[in-house]
Amino acid sequence: MASSSSGLTFKLHPLVILNISDHYTRVKSQLHPPPSAHHCAPAAADPFAPPAPAAADPPRVYGCVIGVQRGRTVEIFNSFELLYDPATHSLDRAFLDKKQELYKKVFPNFYVLGWYSTGSDAEESDMHIHKALMDINESPVYVLLNPSINHAQKDLPVTIYESELHVIDGIPQLIFVRASYTIETVEAERISVDHVAHLKPSDGGTAATQLAAHLTGIHSAIKMLNSRVRVLHHYLLAMQKGEIPCENSLLRQVSSLLRRLPAIESGKFQDDFLMEYNDTLLITYLAMLTNCSSTMNELIDKFNTAYDRHSRRGGRTPFV
Amino acid sequence: MGSIENLVTQIQGLSGSIDDIAHLHNILKVADESLHAEPSALSSVLDQVDPAKHSLGYLYFLEAFTSGPVSKEQALTLIPILARFINCCDAQQIRFAPDKFVSVCKRFKDHVLLIESPLRGVSPMRAAVRKLQTTSEHLTTLHPDFLLLCLLSKSYNIGLSVLEDDIFDVDQPRDLFLYCYYGGMICIGQKRFRKALELLHNVVTAPMNTINAIAVEAYKKYILVSLIHYGQFSTSLPKYASSAAQRNLKNFCQPYIELATTYSSGKIAEFKIYVDTNREKYDNDKNLGLVKQVVSSMYKHNIQRLTQTYLTLSLQDIANTVQLGSPKEAEMHVLQMIQDGEIFATINQKDGMVRFLEDPEQYKTCQMIEHIDSSIQRIMTLSRKLNAMDELMSYDPLYLSKVLFTQVGRERQRFDFDDFDTVPQKFPI
Repeated sequence: MASSSSGLTFKLHPLVILNISDHYTRVKSQLHPPPSAHHCAPAAADPFAPPAPAAADPPRVYGCVIGVQRGRTVEIFNSFELLYDPATHSLDRAFLDKKQELYKKVFPNFYVLGWYSTGSDAEESDMHIHKALMDINESPVYVLLNPSINHAQKDLPVTIYESELHVIDGIPQLIFVRASYTIETVEAERISVDHVAHLKPSDGGTAATQLAAHLTGIHSAIKMLNSRVRVLHHYLLAMQKGEIPCENSLLRQVSSLLRRLPAIESGKFQDDFLMEYNDTLLITYLAMLTNCSSTMNELIDKFNTAYDRHSRRGGRTPFV
Repeated sequence: MGSIENLVTQIQGLSGSIDDIAHLHNILKVADESLHAEPSALSSVLDQVDPAKHSLGYLYFLEAFTSGPVSKEQALTLIPILARFINCCDAQQIRFAPDKFVSVCKRFKDHVLLIESPLRGVSPMRAAVRKLQTTSEHLTTLHPDFLLLCLLSKSYNIGLSVLEDDIFDVDQPRDLFLYCYYGGMICIGQKRFRKALELLHNVVTAPMNTINAIAVEAYKKYILVSLIHYGQFSTSLPKYASSAAQRNLKNFCQPYIELATTYSSGKIAEFKIYVDTNREKYDNDKNLGLVKQVVSSMYKHNIQRLTQTYLTLSLQDIANTVQLGSPKEAEMHVLQMIQDGEIFATINQKDGMVRFLEDPEQYKTCQMIEHIDSSIQRIMTLSRKLNAMDELMSYDPLYLSKVLFTQVGRERQRFDFDDFDTVPQKFPI
């Protein structure tokens, strides 16, 4: 797929991604009910979701994305679901109009910007839907979510396509071209996405498992930070040795990052920080002491059972 | 003679790899008798064998050479040879014949004591201890000898460095008694009373079938140090002390226990009278210096008790309550205690008032972080050791038999041996 040359910048809000994945997960689990009565976390890319029993193709879901277009920036805020009619290969137009009207009442600024679907790649049949939407918006966008989980892939499996008129074999045709996008978050969205991402299974109710899960999360976050810093460090070292040609823009970015640290530097902060650090260490120490005492207790119980000649358990001596 | 020459060539040849040394060890064990028969002939041979590379052979020769009584002049010549050997021998080779090494070192210690300069023996003995230990948690027979030399030569710091290691393995129980006793004395010398209490407590509560003299002496010092450090002493031994100790220790230490009871009454004049009447007994036990420290600690504890009642107090009042001579003396005492970190106070010299303060430790320094961190590391090693011991205990046949028996025995009259075929039967159950 060629990349877009329209020069539009796309900004995607995480709510859209969550909506699409939620829609997909619901439809999939309703179509193929899971073998056990688990409550699935509402993210299709959740590795804990039970595997679908031998199913045919995963179902495709369709919907509409709405947002704002200001000048060259297209910002996609929200989305809603649409019914797809496989016979006519088109979306339910009446429903779309009604929904659009309802949304207009709440969000007067939002326009229908395009549509979304799930799948691994854009297909020819999608072009029908795309053309159908062209009468609402002359150049709709197509947001595609790939629900198959690929652990090797680090980026989000979301692609945004635009349509462009290209001349192929002498015939001008509309084809999909990929467009780059950025994720834009409002503070409220960040908090809610964070909250959703950390939903624990409902039977992990004990304090111990919750604490363990919380600490594991922090541990993995720190590990990732550590590995990224290491990559940067390695890169800078290589640049210093001359193995890689110096790239000044990167160096400027690194130096600006370093100048932002440390975030706070004052006597009072140091004091409070160290005091809290010491408190945590003391609590760890206390926990370890308790742990050791309990092990010691068990050991002594066992020792007394084995070697104490004065106690007679069970009232009988071991026979000869 | 010829056999000795033979041995020398064999030693020089077989000091390479571990297998060779094991082979050499067997040869030497066989030849040991002949070596002991002619000790004097070995002096010339010692020069041909290198102590660093052929440590095992040298050790055997040396052991045979030094057996038998020696006079002072002989001791003087022997000491440098022994010291050189200990300092440069190879630890791996030595561990093949640990008892020979131990006897050589003990003789070294005797020689050093004979010529009355224990300081010469301190450093080689420390090297010997480190070489004989398999890990730093291992207590060898040489530890108490080393500590004895440190005590006699008053080089307490070196002894302290060895005392810092935690002990998990002990070769012989007698070593533990002596080690803890000497260790306690060294700590008292360095005024580290808490560690001294720990070590002496180990001696007093160690398992023993019959009472031994080391425990009695240790108990006397234990009483005194506990008075100095804590200001009180309880005569009941903890439950885990052996029954022999619980019954008999008090009988041997009667004067000290009475000292403790007089101390707890808090009246200094009476206390001093009591000390003077029993002075000889304490002197005989060589504890008189310690008893004097107990007397001075009484003032300290009384002043410390005052901090719990008053916020400010005049020097005159302190002198009266603590029964000191004059406010000047009180000021000196308080000043000394502030310097030692035993109390926190400020003295206002204009009106002679002392103001008692709280512990200013805020727990917000980096040193405190390091301190807590090292404690956490220590406890982690301890926890690992405890877990390992717990596992070991779970496979112990005695324990298994008792546990499984109590489940089985109530329903059945006898075991079926077939059930326990897989359990290794080390002793009849």
